[in-house]
Amino acid sequence: MISVSPKTILDSTTKIDLNNMSAEQKALDIKNLDLYYGDKQALQDITMSIPKGQVTAFIGPSGCGKSTLLRCINRMNDLVDHCRIEGEINLHGENIYNKHVDVAALRRKVGMVFQRPNPFPKSIYENVVYGLRIMGENNRRVLDEAVETALKSAALWNEVKDRLHDSALGLSGGQQQRLVIARAIAIKPEVLLLDEPTSALDPISTLTIEELINDLKKQFTVVIVTHNMQQAARVSDQTAFMYMGELIEYSDTNTLFTTPVKKKTEDYITGRYG
Amino acid sequence: MSIALKSVGIRQVKNSLAKWLITLGGISVLFTLVLIFMYLLYVIKPVFESATISPVASFAIENEQQVLATGLDELQELAYTINTSGNINYYALKPDHQILTDDKKVALTFQESISDSKITNVIDAGENYKLLLDENNHVFLISPKFQTSYDTGAREVIPHISYPLGEESIAVDEQGAEFTHLSFAMNDEKAVFIGFTQDQRLIKTTLIAEDDFSYDPSYEIEYQTIDLSTNQVDEVLVTPDLAMAFIQNGDQVLVFDLSDDSDVELKATIIPQLAQSREKPMHITAMALLSGGSSVLLGDSNGKVSQWFEVATDNGRQFKQIRTFNVSDTEAVRQIHTEQFRKSFYTFTDSGEMGTFYTTSEADLWRGNLTNNIPDSFVISPRSDGLLMFTNNQFQLFSVKNEHPEVTWQALWQEVWYEGYPEAEYIWQSTSGSDDFEGKFSLVPISFGTMKAAMYAMLFAVPIALTAAIYTAYFMTPGLRKKVKPTIELMEALPTVILGFLAGLWLAPIIETNLPAIALLFIMLPISVFITAFAWHNLPKELKAQIPETWAPIILIPVLILVAYLAFALSPVMETYLFGGDIRQYITNDLGIDFDQRNALVVGIAMGFAVIPTIFSMAEDAIFSVPKHLTSGSLALGATQWQTLIKVVLLTASPGIFSAIMMGLGRAVGETMIVLMATGNTPILDWSIFQGMRTLAANIAVEMPESEVGSSHYRILFLAAFVLFIFTFVFNTLAEFVRQRLREKYSSL
Repeated sequence: MISVSPKTILDSTTKIDLNNMSAEQKALDIKNLDLYYGDKQALQDITMSIPKGQVTAFIGPSGCGKSTLLRCINRMNDLVDHCRIEGEINLHGENIYNKHVDVAALRRKVGMVFQRPNPFPKSIYENVVYGLRIMGENNRRVLDEAVETALKSAALWNEVKDRLHDSALGLSGGQQQRLVIARAIAIKPEVLLLDEPTSALDPISTLTIEELINDLKKQFTVVIVTHNMQQAARVSDQTAFMYMGELIEYSDTNTLFTTPVKKKTEDYITGRYG
Repeated sequence: MSIALKSVGIRQVKNSLAKWLITLGGISVLFTLVLIFMYLLYVIKPVFESATISPVASFAIENEQQVLATGLDELQELAYTINTSGNINYYALKPDHQILTDDKKVALTFQESISDSKITNVIDAGENYKLLLDENNHVFLISPKFQTSYDTGAREVIPHISYPLGEESIAVDEQGAEFTHLSFAMNDEKAVFIGFTQDQRLIKTTLIAEDDFSYDPSYEIEYQTIDLSTNQVDEVLVTPDLAMAFIQNGDQVLVFDLSDDSDVELKATIIPQLAQSREKPMHITAMALLSGGSSVLLGDSNGKVSQWFEVATDNGRQFKQIRTFNVSDTEAVRQIHTEQFRKSFYTFTDSGEMGTFYTTSEADLWRGNLTNNIPDSFVISPRSDGLLMFTNNQFQLFSVKNEHPEVTWQALWQEVWYEGYPEAEYIWQSTSGSDDFEGKFSLVPISFGTMKAAMYAMLFAVPIALTAAIYTAYFMTPGLRKKVKPTIELMEALPTVILGFLAGLWLAPIIETNLPAIALLFIMLPISVFITAFAWHNLPKELKAQIPETWAPIILIPVLILVAYLAFALSPVMETYLFGGDIRQYITNDLGIDFDQRNALVVGIAMGFAVIPTIFSMAEDAIFSVPKHLTSGSLALGATQWQTLIKVVLLTASPGIFSAIMMGLGRAVGETMIVLMATGNTPILDWSIFQGMRTLAANIAVEMPESEVGSSHYRILFLAAFVLFIFTFVFNTLAEFVRQRLREKYSSL
């Protein structure tokens, strides 16, 4: 089928000791995070550090809390009724759940791409500059430049450069997802959260997005949730395996897939459940 | 195998049955709509048809004596002639157009009974009166009448002659001189003759009834001579109300005021602007009074007929030329004949070309040659549905199909200058107490009223409905939304007659007496909501946690009640100190704005209430169905809730919101009961919020029961229904069109 060698990943970075990172190496530091939906606890005491400039994948069976954890990172769970969060997520050493944090500002630093492509019913151009416009940027030159940069980074420029002012809804699913990524990176976030970004796409588009993720980590810290273990193996540097709201195992991807420490991890990656 | 096949068979039968039933239902709905449409058009159509004149009968009479005048009964069954010997002979026109047999022929020998002398002239004095002048300058007044009898089992029209002023000759001129012109009009108390004699005196002779002319012909006679600066008189006319006399003197018309019995004064001089050229000088060639006697029609040698009537101006009442009709390009207007009850007139030129016109609507109804020259005698039947011409001892009867001459597209939609009005105006006034009233059918005021009512209703409803929809769909907790939405939708089920009733009888007086409070409410309610929301926002978290979020909006209720109470409490104070004690007086006297109790404000609020659920429900659905992943996408890009709402949610919901507003507008335009009860139904053209209006729908509801089937009024009401239909059709189609376009645009969401 699709052959993406994990070799590139192995070669790309020097190994990082996930348990002993320096402050500069950390993009995010999650400490003792608990999350409750009403009375039901969905995340239990998650503690992990996500390194800068790398791709970190969350894997696990459906309902394990991996998407919930991801949404905690840019406080998208705030919109959910009866959702209560305890613990800390630190960005630059500051807890994002602190009272005085401006959620909108946080989300500009921590961008997010969802499972289903969700372009706005506007032109391609307006989609990309949406984040800049809501920040009050209206300088045509700046916006033009941002559009070109973002679309090039999202590997979409060549396909859409002649129809920037056509409706974004006319694009194919894969193109729409790359447009959404371009929209997210146009505001230059530090962290990019991808929530199963390829689950609604066909294999060819998936491949394109995966190649894109590989390029994106040069500029951003990428956190990806996927239910596809091969994808995690292909694109990520670190992988966290979650089960029933708990973080079971978190190590570099190669180690986790080849020599898992925990029994549950091994059972999952060998396909015994999930 | 067989079971499987059988079940497939039943399924297919059910499937095709359902398909046919649904198709049938759909087609019958369309068919019914088309039928309604066709029926409306069918009723409206005759209004716009032009007049047709077709020959019915033609026959020669054998009469050795010269015929001086002819006449016709209402049913066009009998025609009569008056000849020089004073005989009146009747001829049956229907069914076989034969001369009546001798025994049926009225043995009327007027001459024998009154005078032996030869009749020299018969003057048509309007309203069925004929003045007979004999060679000895005696004047007789007769009124040929017809009675319908059913004595023999079949209908029979029996003619007889009445003598309203007695059978004796009337001594119209004191000196017994011969008249060159004579005109006559009478009512129950008075009869007035205006005549011009051979010895060049203009005389007025007044016959004053001793009791009442309707049953007692005895009278006293008074003679007057009218001072005239000229010796030339070409035509003399007296109005049927005995108020004015029109004397044509060459190219001018002198108008005398007859209202003062003892003194006849020159009231005005009408000098028409005649296009003069040296080769072909223009002259007045014909003069006639229009039905009702307020207007005079002047025909000239240039083929034009002009209508003149008195108009109130800054310098008192003056005769003005209102409109002109182009009768002929080459020939002079020789004769003008007017209908008895309508504002129509017929013209003849020398070549016998006849023209039919209607003054008010300026309709040019018919032109053509029925004869080769001007007929010796021309009679319009009393019901205006037939013409009788008499030329060279030959009768010709024509039937006229001209039922709605007063209605033209221009008269319905453009300003019309009605008799007695100072200028051309848009007027809807379909009925009045008197019979000789001319219906004024301008659809402009009622179409305008429809728009005005809808606009004020939308001004009230749209902000409330849309903000409510946005709040409910986007900010409200699901628990509260579940209760709020059905409640507002339930408001739609409220019968509008109740809303109208409350608006007209309860709300209108409240608004009238508490006008400052209402004005204050419109300002203070939104402000208080903002202040409350701001205070709530800044409330300490601990306190906020005490109240469940679902019920937080409830705290607005006491605030709103308090504000409303305050507004009403402040109202008398404001009235005293700001508006001199009475705001109605202030508005009327100081601001110069008319104030009706049933006004656009009341309608706006009441109909706004009726429209809010429609707009709210559709707009809320549209906003609520904006996909969550779009709002999440916007929020994830660092947009605030507000930015997301404005830039993504409302944009995406815009098709739904637009069609919600259009549906609301369609509903407001077609709404009947509320406007019927709360507008005062005054068909005026005024945008003022303190004035009422009349809408198309209310107009139909008010007037349909009293309109005569088949009359112009009846058909115009159908036309109003048609216009209403078009209005709602246009709004709904526009809404649907835009919605489809936008839906296409957002289809892949």
